[in-house]
Amino acid sequence: MTDTTASKTPLLCVRDLSVTFGDGPSAARVVDGVSFDLAHNRTLAIVGESGSGKSITSLAILGLLKHLGGRIAGGEMLFQSDVLGRRVNLDQLTENELRQVRGNEIAMIFQEPMTSLNPVYTIGSQMGETLALHQGLSRSNARQKAQEFLDLVRLPNAKRLLDSYPHQLSGGMRQRVMIAMALCCQPKILIADEPTTALDVTIQAQILHIIRDLQAKMRTSVIFISHDMGVVSEMADDVLVMKASKPIEAGGVKEVLSHPKAPYTQELLAAVPRIGSMTGTTMPKLFDIPGQEFAPETVPAKPVDRSKPVLEIEDLTVRFDIRGGLLSRVTHRVHAAEKVSFNIYPGETLALVGESGSGKSTVGKTIQQLQDPVSGAMRFHGQDIFSLPADDRKAFRKQTQYVFQDPYGSLNPRKTVGDSLIEPALVHGLVTSKAEAKDKIADLLVKVGLPADHAGRYPHQFSGGQRQRLCIARALACDPSLIIADEAVSALDVSVQAQVVNLLMQLQAEQGLSYLFITHDMAVVERISHRVAVMYLGQIVEIGSRQQVFENPQHPYTKRLLSAVPVLNPGVRPTRPPLEGEIPSGMRAVGNEPAPVTLKAVSDGHFVAEQAS
Amino acid sequence: MPVFRFILQRALQAVLVTLAVTLFVALAVRLTGDPAVMMTAESSSVTEEDLIRIREALGLNQPFYAQYLDFLKGLITFDLGNSFFRGSIADLISIALPSTLILAVASMGISILISIPLGIHAALHKGGISDQIIRVLSLVGLSFPNFWLGIMFVLLLSITFPILPASGFETWSALILPALTIGIILTATNVRLVRTQMLETLSAQYVMVARAKGLSEWSVIYKHALRNAAIAIVTFLGLQFGNLIGGLVVVELVFNWPGMGTLSIEAIAQRDYPLLQATVTILAIMIVAVNLAVDLVYGLIDPRIRVA
Repeated sequence: MTDTTASKTPLLCVRDLSVTFGDGPSAARVVDGVSFDLAHNRTLAIVGESGSGKSITSLAILGLLKHLGGRIAGGEMLFQSDVLGRRVNLDQLTENELRQVRGNEIAMIFQEPMTSLNPVYTIGSQMGETLALHQGLSRSNARQKAQEFLDLVRLPNAKRLLDSYPHQLSGGMRQRVMIAMALCCQPKILIADEPTTALDVTIQAQILHIIRDLQAKMRTSVIFISHDMGVVSEMADDVLVMKASKPIEAGGVKEVLSHPKAPYTQELLAAVPRIGSMTGTTMPKLFDIPGQEFAPETVPAKPVDRSKPVLEIEDLTVRFDIRGGLLSRVTHRVHAAEKVSFNIYPGETLALVGESGSGKSTVGKTIQQLQDPVSGAMRFHGQDIFSLPADDRKAFRKQTQYVFQDPYGSLNPRKTVGDSLIEPALVHGLVTSKAEAKDKIADLLVKVGLPADHAGRYPHQFSGGQRQRLCIARALACDPSLIIADEAVSALDVSVQAQVVNLLMQLQAEQGLSYLFITHDMAVVERISHRVAVMYLGQIVEIGSRQQVFENPQHPYTKRLLSAVPVLNPGVRPTRPPLEGEIPSGMRAVGNEPAPVTLKAVSDGHFVAEQAS
Repeated sequence: MPVFRFILQRALQAVLVTLAVTLFVALAVRLTGDPAVMMTAESSSVTEEDLIRIREALGLNQPFYAQYLDFLKGLITFDLGNSFFRGSIADLISIALPSTLILAVASMGISILISIPLGIHAALHKGGISDQIIRVLSLVGLSFPNFWLGIMFVLLLSITFPILPASGFETWSALILPALTIGIILTATNVRLVRTQMLETLSAQYVMVARAKGLSEWSVIYKHALRNAAIAIVTFLGLQFGNLIGGLVVVELVFNWPGMGTLSIEAIAQRDYPLLQATVTILAIMIVAVNLAVDLVYGLIDPRIRVA
């Protein structure tokens, strides 16, 4: 950067980088022949699904692979280092030299803000450590500088934060601390590995804005690793697409995202739900996946019959007591759900959207009777469930089935999938003979698009997407009329997610299933739902048809949620800074109950919480 | 202040534990034989009247609950009374307790000094040759009875090569063999614990972050990882203290170490009820106190556990 020629040669040249794990013939090549250039003050996004090798590439640059058991098998990484005063191949540096580069000239932010900070040291001490190491600052100077950078990432009360411990901070705040810590030595390269994946969408918007803003101020080059095409489109100048450890396509962000050449990139982009893509339509629509087994038209969009609801929820209230004090009396309550009311009709998908802590999962669990309500009524096909004796209530559990977010944790690893699938049917006495069970398992597997002869396999033999299909098959075993899908597609890669969403819609069309689709992902909601309910702090603040809520959002929170979703529109950068502030907590002192919201009709079937003025 | 409340709770707990332990010991020892008969076993001309007089003198003619209440009364007023045969119990314990504590601290110290570096080394070289050797040695250590190891040390280092004294208390060198015996037995389990805990913390994200900051490996391991692993290690050491006391009793006997263990065993042999009750009570209070200290140390190590 000192002369003009330097700024023309890229800051970092990666050529034919290969990484292997393990030794000998069993060695796995997890990065295979990756090349890219990173220029000054540019952002390169490395995009790919899980297992594509994108994170490993970034760890290779920092020379941290050996701690994971990997090693660089070939290629070079040329970096213009000021500290070492020469252009170096990062792979050839001694550990001592590497340590001068790490955290100083190349810094990194990791995906999980909740575990990235050491729980036993204060924020000030963790930031000061870096500053003392690379800049030789004294304790008080390091503190001062740390505070400056905490201010820079717009953390309120930076001075007090220096003496706080990580557990006293929310996830969004921790990620800001990580950014401040990574940038405090003014690195030439910032590597951000899925920095917002674990965060709520409104918090994600804030974090992305901070990274963009500071990059412009400090003229840092950024390597941004992500699976989210929307985020990439908002952040990147250049894009490298990776799949199964190999580079697939590279180029400018506009070129790659608007006119993808490689078939894989095209597929990936087709699977990305784009918010706004459904404008003007009234019914849900399948993803158009190239090469999929059925065409979108084969699933007819039937209008929903709204004469008789499957499920009616009325004034459902769920609270959790928090005890404290000498006699461990209830001092606070978490108001997880406050007077929530809605209906679901046969063959309809109602999406329950909101951010963490909004109470959406609590509502789902209460409907499944995994959680007892404080008050409220639930009618299933007109029958009041909560007033029934406990034994009769149990029988209704089979009518609703739950699909959880984590397909790895929700199948018993020691049971064959056949046994897992048939278990609910056995519990509820729907299957009596062995032959019947076998037929039923085969039938269920075929329904979710898996071969019938996989019944004898164990869960670890399936991929994440296949496991989620198995969970759906298990939910179908009792012929339920309602399936509660709690973030059921959130943990899946985007191409797999599109397939599972399509499967859900297809099953709905075939069997007239109703779904309560609980999620934070507005873009998926737009695809799958007939109606949408937005939850905020335990209350529904807006409910209406998908078209009403998406095309004419009324409540400020709905608007905020929609505007925070990253838009896949390459070349267009959001300029307006997102709203600041954390998501407030639903915990309140006893006696300090939240004011109940009243929903006001704005049009037919579209209700919005009245604003307290 | 919640910390004081916490200590109060635990002190109450300690009282209950002491009551339960002493009651059990007092009952059990009375089932094993009559001290009056034991005392007079050697002489042949003992009449029934003599025995009754002895029992009266020792207070054994009173019902059990009265004897036990007497003992409790003494405990509350810090007056441990007299042994049946050996005079003031307080005097006996004032010699035995410090020597046991010295031995306990020395063996715990030896174990920590060996197991922490070895455990960390094994964790860092997981699956390597040194890791495997450490694991095998720890298994070997686990399978030794402590008295056997003690006797082997005596045979080797006091008799075959007379470097260290086999017994006694007079010189510091006498401490080495008993402390080494218990220390090595404790190390066998501790090294495995340190290894497992370090493996867990070393794979935590914040350790990778610390490395990405450019910190030296030393700082990553000893500053960032070890302090997090320490929470579980300290818990275990606290629980281990009970076992340590059990081990001490046997090893003290092997090395003729004038500690609480030796004192307890002598008291059992002579059916010296007051002395036995006193030693057991003090050992029980010690174990409870160590566990209380461990709970308080948590707060120092981990800010998340600090009472808010």
